[in-house]
Amino acid sequence: MKIKTLGILAAVTLTLAAIPAVAHHSFAAEYDSNKPVTLTGSVTKLEWTNPHARFYADVKDASGNVVNWEFELGSPNGLMRRGWTRSSLKPGDVISVEGYMAKDGSHLCNARTVALADGRKIFAGAAEDGGPGSK
Amino acid sequence: MYVTRVRAALWIATLALFLALFNVTLSAQWLTYPSKGLPTKADGSPNLMAPAPRTADGKPDLSGVWDVEKNRPCGITGCPDQAPQEYFNIGWALKEGLPYQPWAAALVKSRTAQNSVEDPVTRCLPIGVVHTHTTPLLKKIIQTPALLLILNERNASYRQIFIDGRPLPEDPQPSFNGYSTGKWEADTLVVQSNGFQDDIWLDHNGSPLTEAAKMTERFRRVTVGRLEMELTVDDPKAYTRPWTVKLSQNLVPDGELLDAYCLENEKDIQHFVNHSVAR
Repeated sequence: MKIKTLGILAAVTLTLAAIPAVAHHSFAAEYDSNKPVTLTGSVTKLEWTNPHARFYADVKDASGNVVNWEFELGSPNGLMRRGWTRSSLKPGDVISVEGYMAKDGSHLCNARTVALADGRKIFAGAAEDGGPGSK
Repeated sequence: MYVTRVRAALWIATLALFLALFNVTLSAQWLTYPSKGLPTKADGSPNLMAPAPRTADGKPDLSGVWDVEKNRPCGITGCPDQAPQEYFNIGWALKEGLPYQPWAAALVKSRTAQNSVEDPVTRCLPIGVVHTHTTPLLKKIIQTPALLLILNERNASYRQIFIDGRPLPEDPQPSFNGYSTGKWEADTLVVQSNGFQDDIWLDHNGSPLTEAAKMTERFRRVTVGRLEMELTVDDPKAYTRPWTVKLSQNLVPDGELLDAYCLENEKDIQHFVNHSVAR
């Protein structure tokens, strides 16, 4: 198998990796499905833990100020069964996240998709928590 | 030959890159460790449609790693760990819904209006046997002649179903899992349970189970790959009549349990908009 073909296969595999997880809590209790956002930033930390893996990223707001945002993913149990590992996201990675804002105004987002710098899109939502796209 | 050596080196490099990309070594991959002893098809893959295996004493063997059957639409990229409808509403398949007593119906309405923020699942508490059946984390059943042991990924917890002929306890200490005793009726394991704590949530909507409840589960492994279960809840305190729903599990032929501790890094409760005092 050529290296190039293998690379494409790996990329396709990761793209197909759906990463929903255990419905630890109600989506509606915490996030606003009427407030979709897209945020781009640089990863500062990954917490590969239950009940939800989460990562943090420095995001520049419109005025150029850097704010550290928290992004919620699914459970590592589900993530790993879809091909993610605790090394899949590293501090310094530039990512673009599509998700939904927390209702309480904090810098917290439920990540539905995460795109890496090279464009590979990875679905990261906890799809069975009742959030958008889950029913 | 030089070309052969280059080709061999290319294969080794490809394999190394493949392993590096997926951050694994073949010998250390418990995540997808294949189960031994399953019947296979011509291509070597497990034959999940084969008849259920039997133990030495001729009973169906329910042992295996199991995942709850999914019956909700999946996202664009697939259906892993998707919770079934019954996770949210245990009576989803009932034509007229659950036969709540008026107070129970009012309670469920109040709980759902608050986005179920008091759901014991969310609070990392024990969730009882029904919610465990519908939770999309894996379970492992280990069957011995006297005991059916269920190990759960969630909080690395367990449940014992005794099949040694003991009767249900009288006046038991209330328990999240209750007390379960089962006996074989032909190829169906009929399990009776009592001794439940009061107000266990049967689902995310908050359908209650009271300490008055008696529960019957009928387990039948219809094929290697499928474990069907009929659940009957007889709880006159919360429901006007007994009701029965079907919950099924599918075999995970190459999976192993991963501990999932809810309290490890719980950070959601602080952000809930409908705050309540934790139990």
